[in-house]
Amino acid sequence: MITLRGVTLVYPNGTRALDAIDLEIAKGSFVFFVGHSGTGKSSLLRLLYREQVPSRGEVTVDGVRVDNLRRSRIPNLRRNVGVVFQDFKLLSDKTVWENVAFALQVTGARTKDVMRQVPRVLDLVGLAHKSRMFPSELSGGEQQRTAIARALVNNPRILLCDEPTGNLDPSNTNEIMDLLHRINLKGTTVLIATHNALVVDRMRRRVIRLEDGKIVADEERGYYNAAAGIAVGASDDVAAFPLVRSRGNGLGTNPLLSE
Amino acid sequence: MDSGRIRFFLSEVWRNFTRNLVMQLTAIGTVTVTILLLGSFLFTRQTLGAIGDDVIHKIEISVFLTDSATPAQAQALVATLSRDPRVKSVVYVPKAEGLQQMRERLRGQIDTSLLTSNPLPDALRVRVVDPERVQNVAEFARKQPNVANVEYAQDAIVKLLRISDVLGRIGLGIVALLVFTAAIIISNTIRLTVFARRREIAIMQLVGASGFYIRMPFICEGLVDGVLGAALALALLAVAKFELLPKVTLALPFLPMHAATINAWAFAGELLGVGAAVGIVSSWFSVGRYLRT
Repeated sequence: MITLRGVTLVYPNGTRALDAIDLEIAKGSFVFFVGHSGTGKSSLLRLLYREQVPSRGEVTVDGVRVDNLRRSRIPNLRRNVGVVFQDFKLLSDKTVWENVAFALQVTGARTKDVMRQVPRVLDLVGLAHKSRMFPSELSGGEQQRTAIARALVNNPRILLCDEPTGNLDPSNTNEIMDLLHRINLKGTTVLIATHNALVVDRMRRRVIRLEDGKIVADEERGYYNAAAGIAVGASDDVAAFPLVRSRGNGLGTNPLLSE
Repeated sequence: MDSGRIRFFLSEVWRNFTRNLVMQLTAIGTVTVTILLLGSFLFTRQTLGAIGDDVIHKIEISVFLTDSATPAQAQALVATLSRDPRVKSVVYVPKAEGLQQMRERLRGQIDTSLLTSNPLPDALRVRVVDPERVQNVAEFARKQPNVANVEYAQDAIVKLLRISDVLGRIGLGIVALLVFTAAIIISNTIRLTVFARRREIAIMQLVGASGFYIRMPFICEGLVDGVLGAALALALLAVAKFELLPKVTLALPFLPMHAATINAWAFAGELLGVGAAVGIVSSWFSVGRYLRT
């Protein structure tokens, strides 16, 4: 589904954001990219929706070479790749419904399709009852769910999330991760860049660790920092975040997710 | 395009347009002034041209006969001149008739009753087929017997045409400058809107809106600026034509105002077209510049 071959990304100021990355991600996967800020997680995601062009190497998304994609083909790629950000990027003067519908309307979708798709995704993210509210009237979690609904309304095959829970408290974080998991179960490939150890450890999915633009670890069912065994478990946050306790018994499952 | 899509599109244009109303009004005002000047300039040029044409085609050669010429000799001269292929018409005006015509022409300006005798000679009024041949025909007439003098007003006409030509060029330069200014102001207005809507644009690009779809509301905004400005100018021009011009014509009866020779609808269409084109082209460039970066 997603392939990177020898991908290097050097910014004009000389920063080497990604260094000879080789990567293969299967259809329907749920993958975390972890690492400190500035290790290239976001840069890697940006390559996938052609916000960034690699300095060297090949990027293939859903069978399409995106590193040398013609400008006029970019809209097509982006309808196939939903993107969610830490700061939601909602339009404050539009309601939830309008924010979601906007993504369809600006691609020239028929009104019939807008009327069918928007309620469907709002239902999926559990915001059907708040569709007339403005972003400022919503909690952070609800805003992020709106953003996810917008990313999904075009029925993309891939959902990219750049620090989706970075601005959220633990309970909202939980809510969003559950939603992303459910979306993944429906067949959408979900890629998440995060440095939230709790989220990663709770899910026990594939974890790709980046450091200085290189992949330093890539594990199926990984932890945020498997090698260190880390202090995360000792943090006070864990108590307020009961789902991660299951990390200790090795099950790593979330009762809410096994619906 | 179903009605929902059209509604969405129009609401986007409206949102753009109302985002910075003061700037829109500035843009519209600039277009108005530009089109107003362009319109008056074109009108004036057309009128001057019409006057020039009119005068040229009315160029008459006055052939004055000697006092001794008899009516028979005059008729012979008429026949000679009429036979010339360069001559369109020859009218014999005996002195009595000439005086009569002069009295009518000068009625109310000069008291012609003071004239006790007829100072005019017998005359022929000769019109030519091609205004450029006036001089040749005049010289030909002068060589005929019984001709005392030949007069025609070519120099004045040539000067008049030259002046109107120069004025035309100056006017065109001013209008070109104004069109340029209007384009820059519209383009700046659109850029402000683009800037105000950069979040929307970013999201449009993110969710895969085509470049055309992103541009369209801004192009339409420029179009609205251009067309509204031109329409305002047309309204002012219409007032000028229907209210002011009759008064001017009354005040200056000797200036033939050939307003009727201008096709008002075609003229209005052209001016609206200029306004629309300025709006579209300038907004196209300003959005394009933003979207490329």
